[in-house]
Amino acid sequence: MSSGSMSEDDFVASDYEDGFDSQEEDSDMEYEQTEDIGFSDMVTEKQRQKAYEVDFTVLPLAEIQAAQASASNHVAGILGVTQDQAAALLRSFKWNKERLVERYMDHAQEILDQSGVVLDDTKLRLIKRPKGFVCMICFDDSPNGGAVGLRCGHVFCQACYDQYLTQKIIEEGECRKILCPETGCNVVIDEPTIKSVVQPSVMERYHQLQDRVYVEDLDNLRWCPAPNCENAVECRLPHSSFTTIVPTVLCGCGYKFCFGCGQGDHQPAPCGLVKMWQKKCADDSETANWISAHTKECSKCQSTIEKNGGCNHMTCRKCKYEFCWVCMGPWSEHGTSWYNCNRYEESSSTDARDQQAKSRASLERYLHYYNRFANHEQSAKLDRDLYMKTEKKMEEMQRTSDLSWIEVQFLKKAVDVLTSCRMTLRWTYAFAFYLARDNMTELFEDNQRDLEVAVEALSELLEKPIEKEKIPELRQQVLDKTVYVGSRREVVLEDTAKGLADGRWDFFVEFGKV
Amino acid sequence: MSGICRSRLAEERKQWRKDHPYGFYAKPDKKPDGTLDLMNWQVGIPGKANTPWEGGVYKLTLAFPEDYPSKPPKCKFVPPLFHPNVYPSGTVCLSILNEEEGWKPAITIKQILLGIQDLLNDPNPESPAQSEAYVMFKKDKVSYEKRVRQQAKENAP
Repeated sequence: MSSGSMSEDDFVASDYEDGFDSQEEDSDMEYEQTEDIGFSDMVTEKQRQKAYEVDFTVLPLAEIQAAQASASNHVAGILGVTQDQAAALLRSFKWNKERLVERYMDHAQEILDQSGVVLDDTKLRLIKRPKGFVCMICFDDSPNGGAVGLRCGHVFCQACYDQYLTQKIIEEGECRKILCPETGCNVVIDEPTIKSVVQPSVMERYHQLQDRVYVEDLDNLRWCPAPNCENAVECRLPHSSFTTIVPTVLCGCGYKFCFGCGQGDHQPAPCGLVKMWQKKCADDSETANWISAHTKECSKCQSTIEKNGGCNHMTCRKCKYEFCWVCMGPWSEHGTSWYNCNRYEESSSTDARDQQAKSRASLERYLHYYNRFANHEQSAKLDRDLYMKTEKKMEEMQRTSDLSWIEVQFLKKAVDVLTSCRMTLRWTYAFAFYLARDNMTELFEDNQRDLEVAVEALSELLEKPIEKEKIPELRQQVLDKTVYVGSRREVVLEDTAKGLADGRWDFFVEFGKV
Repeated sequence: MSGICRSRLAEERKQWRKDHPYGFYAKPDKKPDGTLDLMNWQVGIPGKANTPWEGGVYKLTLAFPEDYPSKPPKCKFVPPLFHPNVYPSGTVCLSILNEEEGWKPAITIKQILLGIQDLLNDPNPESPAQSEAYVMFKKDKVSYEKRVRQQAKENAP
């Protein structure tokens, strides 16, 4: 069983490499074949995968529970324990069957203790209070009521145990290793004991937490981050590949997110780049905007200067250079008596402004990309708002005219495509910001521009006032444009994904995986 | 257990009066009307003999939450102490006083105070809480000890 599982991993790894060979058309056959073996449990809907797509499976909660049950069943059979006990053992080994079985063979008792498993289930830990019992938590010494004690011999009253476990499970969300309440005691409280003490609702929460850590413990699983969604997504690509692949997955609930970092869809930018960009924006963008709007640099020492009052005759506090705030030229050329500047064309002031422009360039460059990045986010929101308004109008028309429901649905599709394109465009600007300039950049920018133009055209189309007579015409236009925009997006994603896989993009920064 | 907070504290007080380690004191505050406020205690911890902390008795307040002993009390040196694991506010950073780390409902006031006494001359450099004492402890042991001795003198009972 251990070797079988190992070879499965091997196939995943080799599939990943083959997956990229297959972008050269001729190795398609090989790719498909490997996929059949490695991903036999996955349903591939498309014949040939696009370069920017990855294989993944959406797992509803029931399947996650079934997977745990089947793994526990398997281990229970090997170790001769019950399924619940096997599950507890597996949990403390992060579901690594091989390691558990191997270690268990040599150090069974040690493993049982550290996982909080008691094999002899006939020994109930819920007991009657012994004579002279005083609970050391609440100091209750009445002879009535139950008490709980583990193999360590520390006995506390049932009410305190209940309170302690409920606190751990409900308030602290703990389900891995809850220890005996005694000071410094490291004996793990086993699941049957917990079950015999706490309320059923607490036990339910306990099981939910176990499902949660199951997904968190496994590298190839991730919960869908959408609110109220109970699905997890399985993706078998190694995490080390996420510097060159953007593993975008689509949950059954309709939410599209990145398997690598759990954020919303950020194609075509890889996770590491996204993280860096977000940090930069959080740190810099407002500051940079303000600096750009309110300050100039000293033409001599490049110190950033804010002019908060006074005349145009500036003296740099740092290097004492005297210059004119308006033309940025040296003050000495202005004469002594006049404090207004009309000498914009003089060569020395032009030089000073050139210098200024250069030092501003990097700031401006950042703002160029940032503003476009931010703009698409904003526009996507406006598109949504527009859609809400339009939808109302369409519904109205549906009622007042003979248009059918299906005929007014084209707008929804268009807005969906528009939004996803804007999200893609948005991240192309973060991508481009870190791109070193070469021939490849131009190609990228061409694709980016084509998508941008198409997106704006579609957006404009949607803003047109809707007149009843013109609906069929508008519908056709919107449908055509929607298809075109979608195909432009594919071109951008396909090209960037292939470039990442081939190492074709030259970034001027290093970024790792998240 | 919500109801047990006060009864447990009353019992702790009883136990403490019966027997407590030498040099320590622990007593609940008095309310304006003269009754005891079991939720807030004034305690004193002596520095161990043969350490630079010897001679001082360090004062703390213990504030017990309503869900004590499910949750630990907040222990605060008043005035704040020069020590790597004491926050500038005076709050003690110790694993047994952290509900998500080492806190257990069976830990008694006596054990807390002995734990803090141990911490005095055995700071945990892994979790610094104030920069002044931490930096000096790391870089200049001689000055650090001198400062601690000075502090012991200032805190002599």
